[in-house]
Amino acid sequence: MASALSAELVEVDADPEAFYALSLERGWGDGAPLLPPTDERVLALLAATPRPADEILGVLPPRHGVATVELAAINAAMAGVLPAAFPLVIAALEAISAPEFNAFALTTTTSSVFPMLIVNGPSRDELGIDYRAGCLGGAAGRGSMTIGRAVSLALRNVGGQRAGETSRTVFGQPARFGLCFGEWEERSPWPPLAQRRGFRPDQDVVTVHGGKGTFPLADVNNDDARDLAYTIAKCLAFPMNNWYLEPTGGSGQLVLALNPIWAARMGSAFPKLEALQAYLHEHAWQPLGLWRPANQEILRAKGRVDAADRVFLVERPEQLVPIVCGGLGSLHAVALTSFCESEMQSVAAQHREPGAGRARA
Amino acid sequence: MTAASVGQGRIRIRVPTARPPVVQGAPAFLLDRPIAGLRIGLRHEGSWRSWMLIVGEWEAFLRRDGALPVVVQTGERVGSEGERTRADVAKWAASVDCGISGLGTCGSCTSWSVHDAVTLERQGRPAIVAVTEEFAKHAGNMARHLGHPDLKLLVLPYPLEGRPEPELREIAALHYPAFLRLLGASGG
Repeated sequence: MASALSAELVEVDADPEAFYALSLERGWGDGAPLLPPTDERVLALLAATPRPADEILGVLPPRHGVATVELAAINAAMAGVLPAAFPLVIAALEAISAPEFNAFALTTTTSSVFPMLIVNGPSRDELGIDYRAGCLGGAAGRGSMTIGRAVSLALRNVGGQRAGETSRTVFGQPARFGLCFGEWEERSPWPPLAQRRGFRPDQDVVTVHGGKGTFPLADVNNDDARDLAYTIAKCLAFPMNNWYLEPTGGSGQLVLALNPIWAARMGSAFPKLEALQAYLHEHAWQPLGLWRPANQEILRAKGRVDAADRVFLVERPEQLVPIVCGGLGSLHAVALTSFCESEMQSVAAQHREPGAGRARA
Repeated sequence: MTAASVGQGRIRIRVPTARPPVVQGAPAFLLDRPIAGLRIGLRHEGSWRSWMLIVGEWEAFLRRDGALPVVVQTGERVGSEGERTRADVAKWAASVDCGISGLGTCGSCTSWSVHDAVTLERQGRPAIVAVTEEFAKHAGNMARHLGHPDLKLLVLPYPLEGRPEPELREIAALHYPAFLRLLGASGG
């Protein structure tokens, strides 16, 4: 069979252990087993996208590797991505390649930050995107696990990101294996994230967020939604939040994942999402005296301290981004804390066939 | 037989890595003259206190030696603040005869220190990136990835933070001659 693929071919024993060993030897993986990217697998993925194999999706730092659709497919094949889900991998890589995402810094930093993928749209169930119980880990949906991992592998193999070498991350984080989850749109009292960012309800959309980690929040005592939101806001403004290292609080976003029960309670008190964001912003600050003198001096020098000696976490309410997902335990939320110097990006997936992955090209 | 199946018990797979980009090494520059009368750039991010102290010391040394230090403090790299930072760095790079960009002592701060030194070198001016020992290799890699493999590195001890001020002043004094030497300054 003639192949339109251009990547180098390597022959290996068909025994699955042989390819796993080769991937470890060549540094292609994350330590866990991979599927062999045979032409059959790669071509099946390419058939699911209208994009040509040689189309360039972007240039991925730190090594400035050129990410083609074909290379995306090879890495997706290794991760076990289903063809119908491949357009979401492409969308994620395009989003990461946007200059304002700042992958140049994000892939080399000492921070634990990694692109976290949030999926909206009609194909979440069909593709196995986790958005209910255990959506940030443990739910084991094929779409979530393989799309996130494919993007992680592409950053490693195309961009050259490797911890301890090109990436200076001190700790890394579990999401570096890949983190992809959906929003439980049907349980949200507000428009879903992608629609707030200008996309249609019938589009599958991937939003990439430079998240430093999953910061857990819990409360069982505040029945009042405003009290709950107040307490959350104070937690978001923890004194060693990355935003307090920044020259301003004007860049980046924090994603606040609310469980559906809390979301419903918040939705009653704040029917418009903007009102909740304004309320969170209004209370997401700490008194200057909370910090020791060395921090106080720098915060003052950067102009971060207001006339009442308050240090606000962020400049604008819209930088705090609530979404709804997770199980129905009504006592938890998670903050996907911000690298700050990275602007969230969203890209709609382009499917070749309407209904295959449900959306349309 | 498909391209993926060859012989008994063997398969062919596609290599998942990008071919390394061809790096055309951009030239590096030397002053080849005394620094007196020159405008010498110093770049910091307003965050590493130790580096800001060293910059302050070098400002005084440069003035003592007849040069004019031009300090730029960079800000964020994305959004409207990012636009301002890019404009500030471009203006700084265009306004000096040579300069040093620092401090590379974390991952992203090294990457951006190298980036801004490269901005200066692309103006045809002698440029140095200041890095700590731990991040010197990373700085060299980033310079190469940006097409400037010969970008000069001034390597400072690691970690700089946590040291008392008198020790940092000693480090500033100790490395000042190397700073001038890397710029290619000749005896005045």
